Amino acid sequence: MRGDKVRLVVVLAVLIGALLALFWPSKGGWMSNIRLGLDIKGGARIEYLVEIEEGTENPTDVVDDVWTVLRNRLDAAGYTEASVKKVFRENKSYIVVEIPGATDTVQAEKLIGSTGVLYFAQVLDEYLGDDPTKVPELALEAKRENATWLRGRDGKWYLVKKEIMGRKDLVLEAPRIIYARPEVETRTGRYGYKVSFELAKEYVEKFKKITQALYVPEGTYDPKKRLAIVLDNVVQFAGQVVAIITDGKAEITGNFSLEEAKQLAAILRSGALPARLVKTSSGWVAPLLGRDVIDSSLKAGIIGIILVLAYMLVYYRAMGIVADLALIYNTILLLGVMAAGKFILTLPGIAGIILTIGTTVDGNVIIYERIKEEMRAGKPVRTSIAAGFDRSLSTILDANITTILTGLILYYFGTGTVKGFAITLIIGVLGSIFVNLVFSRLLLDALAPFLKTPKVVEEAQGGNKR
Amino acid sequence: MRREIDFMGKSRIFITISLILIAISVVSIFTKGFNFGVEFTGGSEIVVRFENKSITEADIRKAISQISEELASSRIVQVRSAGDPANVLKYSIVVSKIYEPEEKQKIQEEIEHLLSGKVVSFNEISGTAAEEIKRGTWTAILVALVVLLIYITIRFRFIFGVAAIIALVHDVLITMGFFSIFGYEINVAAVAAFLTLLGYSLNDTIVLSDRIRENMKRYRGRNIVNIVNMSINQVLARTINTSLTTFLVVFVLLLFAGNAVKPFAFGMTVGTVVGTYSSLYVVSPIIVKWTK
Repeated sequence: MRGDKVRLVVVLAVLIGALLALFWPSKGGWMSNIRLGLDIKGGARIEYLVEIEEGTENPTDVVDDVWTVLRNRLDAAGYTEASVKKVFRENKSYIVVEIPGATDTVQAEKLIGSTGVLYFAQVLDEYLGDDPTKVPELALEAKRENATWLRGRDGKWYLVKKEIMGRKDLVLEAPRIIYARPEVETRTGRYGYKVSFELAKEYVEKFKKITQALYVPEGTYDPKKRLAIVLDNVVQFAGQVVAIITDGKAEITGNFSLEEAKQLAAILRSGALPARLVKTSSGWVAPLLGRDVIDSSLKAGIIGIILVLAYMLVYYRAMGIVADLALIYNTILLLGVMAAGKFILTLPGIAGIILTIGTTVDGNVIIYERIKEEMRAGKPVRTSIAAGFDRSLSTILDANITTILTGLILYYFGTGTVKGFAITLIIGVLGSIFVNLVFSRLLLDALAPFLKTPKVVEEAQGGNKR
Repeated sequence: MRREIDFMGKSRIFITISLILIAISVVSIFTKGFNFGVEFTGGSEIVVRFENKSITEADIRKAISQISEELASSRIVQVRSAGDPANVLKYSIVVSKIYEPEEKQKIQEEIEHLLSGKVVSFNEISGTAAEEIKRGTWTAILVALVVLLIYITIRFRFIFGVAAIIALVHDVLITMGFFSIFGYEINVAAVAAFLTLLGYSLNDTIVLSDRIRENMKRYRGRNIVNIVNMSINQVLARTINTSLTTFLVVFVLLLFAGNAVKPFAFGMTVGTVVGTYSSLYVVSPIIVKWTK
């Protein structure tokens, strides 16, 4: 059958893809491609002292705000499984950040370390050499213009001025940003990603004036009329204003890579920290669950799964083999996607996997019960299989779509742990739909001639008499 | 003909059982409350430093168990800071209790005496999960319920959606009641178990609703009690097989996994049973009552 051939190719391709993601490139040890969470593997631990200025009215509020900003930044940059903790010691407040796996701590530290205030500024000049403040004429230029030389993320130096066009009423510091996200660049002649953002209402008017003041028609260039976004005293971005923005919705285009766009969006979105953070220590933390717990849980999990496999085999005989293979296939698929997507596996994630085992078995059971019903009604094996699949399709879709909807909502609203759980859940359920409808179908069709054995038919008819 | 179990005939009894279980749960939740883990309540972190020692988590647990009960169930994790010499071992002991200064002093002395290590810091820590889970999770649950209601109303009927949501609330309330009654700790993993249970319970309900819908079309005009009974019987083998297999995994986990995983396994085990029960005995009576 043509359908079966297509299925076979798809099933094999997916399997090979998953195996590749799991085992290649192998850095040693099986499962080394799966990123494990703090609870299972431990990770990097960085402690910061929150420096609160004396006379601050509500110091606990400041610490709470720092916590929120850090949590948002980590979530926005994909570190959903990191933990952020407030620690108090001898009347001082600390923030402890723990990041699963220790591979990209440097990047994470950069993200956390962005402690300054976010503001918009005018670019007056740029310079490509070393520190321009040490070059007399450049230093003089800064003094004359009442501006400052700041380093840019791109390595260039920029002469920037907070008072845009010299106007005090155009200073825009620490604006609230409603959203900022990377978007695919669609205009011709450009490539990569851009960042779009929207300012809160109260800043719209001022931003409009700023863009009016700095506006240059597209195609022309005025080096003294550029807008800079500054955070941490680093020019995050500098570019021409090619449109007057009246509604606070703007785009930053610069042929960014996805990673750059994501980071810029995260910085815009999370704003500036309300206090200075001083790194007091860094190091690592062992698995939070403890090795003994992990070992015994792993053993228990394997025993559980073997029992499930055995049960299906005993109850459904030949079809049980298909169910078991489907279960194994889906587990490989899920782990493969976790590895490829660099998702982090934690205990709550394992909860998601167990639910997946449930839904995979369930999908198979729904199909088999239908097939049995069809066989009991006296239909031939092949027809029964086809009818069984057709008639269970809507049940399987309804049951799984509701779960996926729940997962998407949890992902959208949740933070940290909840987000992580939602990811495993969604991947697992999508996988189980694929496995049930494509993989199982393929195997059952292949198995059809054997299902005709008198025993099975008898069993099916026996069910009728019972 | 296969023998049909008369589910609907006994629905009064089962509704009563459910109501009693819910009542017990609610009473326990309000009087006894929950045993929240350190991720929710916050607590204290004691960092102990050992030099030239090959001390393990188990040794520490054994020693500090003599000091107090809450220390016995603390979370002990090895930590290492950049720049620590190789022969130095540091452990972080986290316990869900905040101590008074005198108590701190006493505990510090006892730990140093029992373990001959040095307490380098005694911190008060916030619950990491509390804020994470507070933020957004309630909104998420409310939005999810509305979306599910809409989806089920479109695909089935409004009343099927209502029944599914009542079943969800039923399952979560009773499972939470069990947590309260048995004093199992509610930690992040337990929350994951609750979320999983929602998905599971829903799955079960949808499969049954699907069959009822189909049979309503096929046997138009037939008594609804009859149709629901027939539908439950038709999906019974599937319900039992699916529940049993999920139950096997989580029950083995409950029996053999370590303490930190127990709350999760417990939640899943109770949830599987309650979730199965509710789709058979809670959802169907509601549908019957409303479509009559």
